[in-house]
Amino acid sequence: MSKSDSGDSKRQRRVGRLAAIMCAMLVLGLAVTGCAAKTGTDGAVSGDEIIIGTALCQTGIQAPLDEPQLRGVQLAVDELNANGGILGKQVKLVALDGKSDPVTVGNVAKQLVDDGAAAIITPSDFDFGGPASREAQKAGLVGISPAASSPLYGSAALGDLQFTMSMWNTTMGAVSAEYAYNTLGYRSVYVITDDFIDYTKSLSKYFIVRFKELGGTVVFEDTYTQGQADVSAQLARIKALPEKPDFIYISSYMPDLGLMIRTLRESGITQPVIGGDAYDDPALWGALGAQYGSDVYYDTHCFFSNEANPGYDKWLASYQDKYGKDPETPMIMIGYDAMMVLAQSMDKAGTTEGAAVAKVMETTEYNLFTGKLKWSDAASGHEPNKAAAMVQLEAGTPKFLGWFIPEKIPAP
Amino acid sequence: MMNLEFMINTISLGSLYALLSLGLVLVFGILKLVNFAYGEYLMIGGYGLYFSATVLHAPWWAMVVFGILAAILTSYLSELAAFRPVRNKSANALLVTSFAVSIFLQNAVLILVSPRARAVPLPPIFSQTVNIYGAVTPVRNLLIIGTTISVLILLSLLMKKTVLGLAMRAASDKFTTTRLMGVPANLVISAAFVISGLLAGISSIFWIGRSASVDPVTGAAPLLIAFIATVVGGMHSPAGAVVGGFVYGLLFNVLSITLPASMISYRDAFMFVIVVLFLLIRPEGIIKGGYTEERVG
Repeated sequence: MSKSDSGDSKRQRRVGRLAAIMCAMLVLGLAVTGCAAKTGTDGAVSGDEIIIGTALCQTGIQAPLDEPQLRGVQLAVDELNANGGILGKQVKLVALDGKSDPVTVGNVAKQLVDDGAAAIITPSDFDFGGPASREAQKAGLVGISPAASSPLYGSAALGDLQFTMSMWNTTMGAVSAEYAYNTLGYRSVYVITDDFIDYTKSLSKYFIVRFKELGGTVVFEDTYTQGQADVSAQLARIKALPEKPDFIYISSYMPDLGLMIRTLRESGITQPVIGGDAYDDPALWGALGAQYGSDVYYDTHCFFSNEANPGYDKWLASYQDKYGKDPETPMIMIGYDAMMVLAQSMDKAGTTEGAAVAKVMETTEYNLFTGKLKWSDAASGHEPNKAAAMVQLEAGTPKFLGWFIPEKIPAP
Repeated sequence: MMNLEFMINTISLGSLYALLSLGLVLVFGILKLVNFAYGEYLMIGGYGLYFSATVLHAPWWAMVVFGILAAILTSYLSELAAFRPVRNKSANALLVTSFAVSIFLQNAVLILVSPRARAVPLPPIFSQTVNIYGAVTPVRNLLIIGTTISVLILLSLLMKKTVLGLAMRAASDKFTTTRLMGVPANLVISAAFVISGLLAGISSIFWIGRSASVDPVTGAAPLLIAFIATVVGGMHSPAGAVVGGFVYGLLFNVLSITLPASMISYRDAFMFVIVVLFLLIRPEGIIKGGYTEERVG
């Protein structure tokens, strides 16, 4: 009886000691993470490195957009560090996987804040990037999405420290509408909208608004859903039209975009096809090939040539040096630019403190690879004023037509 | 002439769906496993086409062989490495394993190749169109019809005239009895996976042929189609799968033509309603087949 008693008490003591040790570790841990978080939110210029966090989605359905952006960000960080970093400090990139799940993206952003990130680079869509921007906003940090083109992405919906690098769909839709009406002289259009995500729906919406404003006619507004892998219904309707439209506007993205355009062409629909930045994809050009890859126009963020983006060859060389292959999407360049915008703004603000950096971002005109960029102030939504690169496909090869700023941008 | 075009479209779509469903049903017949990794065999077949064209610069016939072999190999290896160890466990274990194989293959490609779609250069004949009495149709649509007819003939010869075919038919009817008769289980099951992979590989060429591109989630849509088609046609016989494929193709095209544009987004919902009705009214599908519940183990 007594033996077991003493055994029990010994065990209790041992448990007690263990608990004490664990408590001590916990307190220590808290203190450490607390410190780390402090350097981040303070924007303190103490410590010898600046942490930039990315919540980009490296896996899942967003990965085709976000993963190349991360490559661009890494390239920019390497370049910055080789040239003295930001504010004289080395940049440390912490890339956590948002996994194409809005809840995970939010949690990952929270983790980045705790890790002491000075700014957060967020996924490229309002639905996926929004949660990361909201966490950044809560922590008083600048959040920037390289390619979210929804007009919702800005200060109005997400907070006064939140930005997107991409032209909004208002601009993207307007540029292609004006090019079709003014330059190509087209007057009627058949619109097919992929209703799977916000991007494709809002792009069509602003294209139609601007095209009608100019005096064009929308023959029919058709829909398609990504993943259906069949356009026979849309095809039958186009064929049944009594009067053929001047061109077809398709707002969708790969992989189904290739199937849609191919099917139309195979069935003898020869009208030009026009669309947005999702067309800027070598997989699409290859899928259309020399046979079907003509009479296709789109507006996008940049064009991989010295003519469109001075200094491109140097950038290309450093990209090839790091990754051993050619860049396959503008998403890489826009990711690179997002990191450079953060670096320039922090240098100019003299601090990494969110409000000060955001102030600089609102008042500076940036000269970037992906064109000139000037954000409006927080009161008007941080609307990015950016030129769009208009591109034409000829036998599967893209040809740069020039930079365009719309005469009039539809209200978001 | 719309009618002729509609007919060619429907028969070619039905042929493709019949091939897809057949590959799914062969494995189900023997293992009673709905293999959710089946779409991934097709996807790997697509990457086989992509790599043989871009890295090896193979001629088109070698591309086809390479793509089909890639699908067969993936199917066979997944049986060996993933399904065989859990074969004697519950049906749920097999099902979950098939999800695991699917996720593993998708992410392997995502990490090793790219999350972005890749263009697959196709032989010129895949991009040509012919005019049949005024109906413009891709040559591909005629090729798939011819291919499906040949495959069906060869497969039924295999099933009816060879010992392996006899063993497979017996195994899908009464597996335990078949084993007691001295038929090696591993051989029959491996053979089913190899043929399933072969069908996925052949379908892959025509599936990829429509979009000329492949990405890590290419397999999702064909898997769903094969699944629905087999539920409608009957999961318990190859004939059911073929009938299901053609019925699906017909329903799909009829809905495409008759639904108003505002309803076209709900086409899949209509398809699912039909599947639910089938499950309620005729759960064994159009073709009843040897309707048994026994599975391996």
